[in-house]
Amino acid sequence: MIKEMKLVLFIPLIIGVTGCASLGVEPWERDLLAKDEMSLNAAPVDSALDDHIYFSKEASSGGKGFGGGGCGCN
Amino acid sequence: MVARGLAVVDVVVINTMKNKTEKTNIKAALTIATAALLGTSNFTKAETTSIANVEENAWEFDSAFLFYSEADRVSAGEAIFNATKTFTDEEVLNLKLTVDALTGASANGGVAQPNVQTFTRPSGSGQYTIAAGDTPLDDTFHDTRVQLNGQWTQPIAPNYTASGGVHISKEYDYLSLGVNGNLAFDFDRKNSTFSAGFSYFQDKFTPEGGIPKAFSSMLIGDSSLPNWDDEFAKTRIGSEDTKTTTDILLGFTQVINRRMITQFNYSYSMVDGYLTDPFKIISVVGGFNSIDAGVAQDYIYESRPDSRIKQSIYAQSLYHFDKSVLDISYRYMWDDWQITSHTIDSRFRIPLGDAFGRESYIQPHFRFYQQSAAEFYKPFLIDGAALPTYASADYRIGEMTTFTVGLKYGLLVNNGHDLSFRLEYYRQTPTDAGFDEPGVLKGVDLYPTIDAIIAQVTYSF
Amino acid sequence: MLLLLKLLILFNENYLNKNRVVQLVKNKDSYGITFNAMASPCEVIIQSTDKQLATKLGNDIASEVWRIEDKYSRYNHRSVCSAINNSAGHCVAIDEETYLLLNFAEQCYQLSDGLFDISSGVLRKVWSFQNIQSNNDNFPTAVQVKQVLTNVGWRKVHFNQNKITLVKGMEIDFGGIGKEYAVDRAIIIAKKLTNNPVLVNLGGDLAVTCSRINNEPWQVAIEHPDIDNNHTDMIVSLKSGALATSGDARRFIINDGKRYGHILNAKTGWPVEEAPRSITVVAPQCIQAGILATLALLQGTHAEQFLMEQEIKFWARR
Repeated sequence: MIKEMKLVLFIPLIIGVTGCASLGVEPWERDLLAKDEMSLNAAPVDSALDDHIYFSKEASSGGKGFGGGGCGCN
Repeated sequence: MVARGLAVVDVVVINTMKNKTEKTNIKAALTIATAALLGTSNFTKAETTSIANVEENAWEFDSAFLFYSEADRVSAGEAIFNATKTFTDEEVLNLKLTVDALTGASANGGVAQPNVQTFTRPSGSGQYTIAAGDTPLDDTFHDTRVQLNGQWTQPIAPNYTASGGVHISKEYDYLSLGVNGNLAFDFDRKNSTFSAGFSYFQDKFTPEGGIPKAFSSMLIGDSSLPNWDDEFAKTRIGSEDTKTTTDILLGFTQVINRRMITQFNYSYSMVDGYLTDPFKIISVVGGFNSIDAGVAQDYIYESRPDSRIKQSIYAQSLYHFDKSVLDISYRYMWDDWQITSHTIDSRFRIPLGDAFGRESYIQPHFRFYQQSAAEFYKPFLIDGAALPTYASADYRIGEMTTFTVGLKYGLLVNNGHDLSFRLEYYRQTPTDAGFDEPGVLKGVDLYPTIDAIIAQVTYSF
Repeated sequence: MLLLLKLLILFNENYLNKNRVVQLVKNKDSYGITFNAMASPCEVIIQSTDKQLATKLGNDIASEVWRIEDKYSRYNHRSVCSAINNSAGHCVAIDEETYLLLNFAEQCYQLSDGLFDISSGVLRKVWSFQNIQSNNDNFPTAVQVKQVLTNVGWRKVHFNQNKITLVKGMEIDFGGIGKEYAVDRAIIIAKKLTNNPVLVNLGGDLAVTCSRINNEPWQVAIEHPDIDNNHTDMIVSLKSGALATSGDARRFIINDGKRYGHILNAKTGWPVEEAPRSITVVAPQCIQAGILATLALLQGTHAEQFLMEQEIKFWARR
């Protein structure tokens, strides 16, 4: 299950890195991409709160990006 | 419009329109078409007579309250107030205030026993008892924390965006100061973005009762006796300690097509300093062949290495179907404590139209997490056996699987402000990493499951 | 007689083309630059006392406007537009600017549900709107309109980043977006050159780079549709953005007592009925204002409602 998930998520990466020239959109095709819900960090407040919970309860943290400042919580 | 994340999209948010019977947002569609034609990303507003267009330079606020509660254990409340201001030339200032309060009981690292156990509070003054068969929980944890973040983002050259920020966090016994910086480079019509960032934190810890000596025995007895303070002081090596955290993050974002965008990150993190938890102990129990097999003989303070190097790779995809949006990500983490973990996080946003509230939506959420134990993780130690260099019984660095299921519901209220509610169920299941249980330990639950509820309300205006 | 008239017009246009002179006038706190382009009087006002700056600005903008006119004017036989229109069904190579303009026209076609169509220029072959009231002679029959309509239809145009192919007999006309596009390009040039307030006005389609000094607005007069001077012009204060006017002030036909404006419905081939006499729209860019004004007129009776629903600032005269 995990192996398949890894594949599903890495295929776009591989395509992205090797086939960059054919990927992407023209500026006028960004109608959907411009929506808030298509942002990579669409709900930063939710992310910050969740990150704090999982940092406190699990051994892993971060890896997703900075932006609003790290958690730095203990 | 606010620049979110690492890639800045230089168009205005619109509602999609195709059907003649729907109210079409021609003005917005034309704005995008005009931008494409003229190649401009800076929009002036048309201002006539005395009507001032106040949309630009306005503040956007988010306020949220979260409640977290584990059954019979810790409860926490956290409130965030976030303010963002976008200036005319795509400069963004972000200020955030976070306040959280913790109450309830946390596991102290000891194992359950078929008899009553007594422990000393971290401060050294006072004891607490645990019923037979119960996992030892220390309820002296209640603390309030205040955190302030400031972040400034601005373009520094065509296609280059820089961001820098500061962080300060203070609670009764902990102070954390941090800075971060980030540079993003867009290319190929802003379809691809490379970014590199770093962050540096300096923390100081002044735990109640001071820093315990590694592997020293927890003093149990009567804290009102005259020589108690001296004896307690013998188990301490100082009143405070520090740690520094340095993170480097490299990211690559790629627009695949009109409906899909992906991100790939690599991160490297170095933590140096005091990484031990001064409030946690390890039960030392009688060995397999002793009369007291599995019975706690002593409680000693844990000890962790003074450095930790973590690395992770992260991949995320967002896909816009006809109306709904799927957000799915995977992270793999590995470190020099021999912990490895997998995290799969997925959200599916389903718009409900105006049926259940103006522009309402629901968003189911599922998260799966699995980690392997740190190499010095020991749920208990055997009396008489040689002490390892480092040991900790903290289940949070042991072998564990967790999952979260939740649902978020949102809608627009008042003048188009966002209101949303989120309710989630979080289950942590520590598992046996291959430790044989001597004697009486076979009859107790060494790896209790922890259930928690997460509830959040957010209002943006 | 008609032939002579046509020759005169042709000569006039050529003369105008040769009359490419930029004139500079000094006012109290600004310079006014005037020139002729796209069959209209054009002016640029810069609020500055720097003569060198005003001269450079005037020359740069005039050059750009003339460049666009030479490239996209239907009347210029050397233009890209003419090359495309005379291609007789063969494909014609295009550059990025033309591609972007065609794309924009495509967006407008879709947004207007086919009412705005730059391939509808051929309709002028049966419709001729002139400066004076015409009589029934110039009013086409239904058969004539139907016939010429077969050469209209954006869907029949095929183009990509590198080339465009029209079906034989079709023509495209950038007249509906050319002047406003030139205004926006001029504003971009002005902004790059100076921080001083600049106003660019090409025959009534205008835009400003920012408000005048001390945050004062620019005062713009909008002509009343009726030629007789009994009605006063309307004054609009503009602080930022652009303004475009679409209407039949000068070009219309009266048939059987009914007034037909020169905005034609590209789907039916007939003029839009019950359209306002003139619509002036305010928008961040001139091309946006121009398209919105035209789209509104195409709605006929519902012109004002259309603009109100989109929450656009406008003035309409009926």
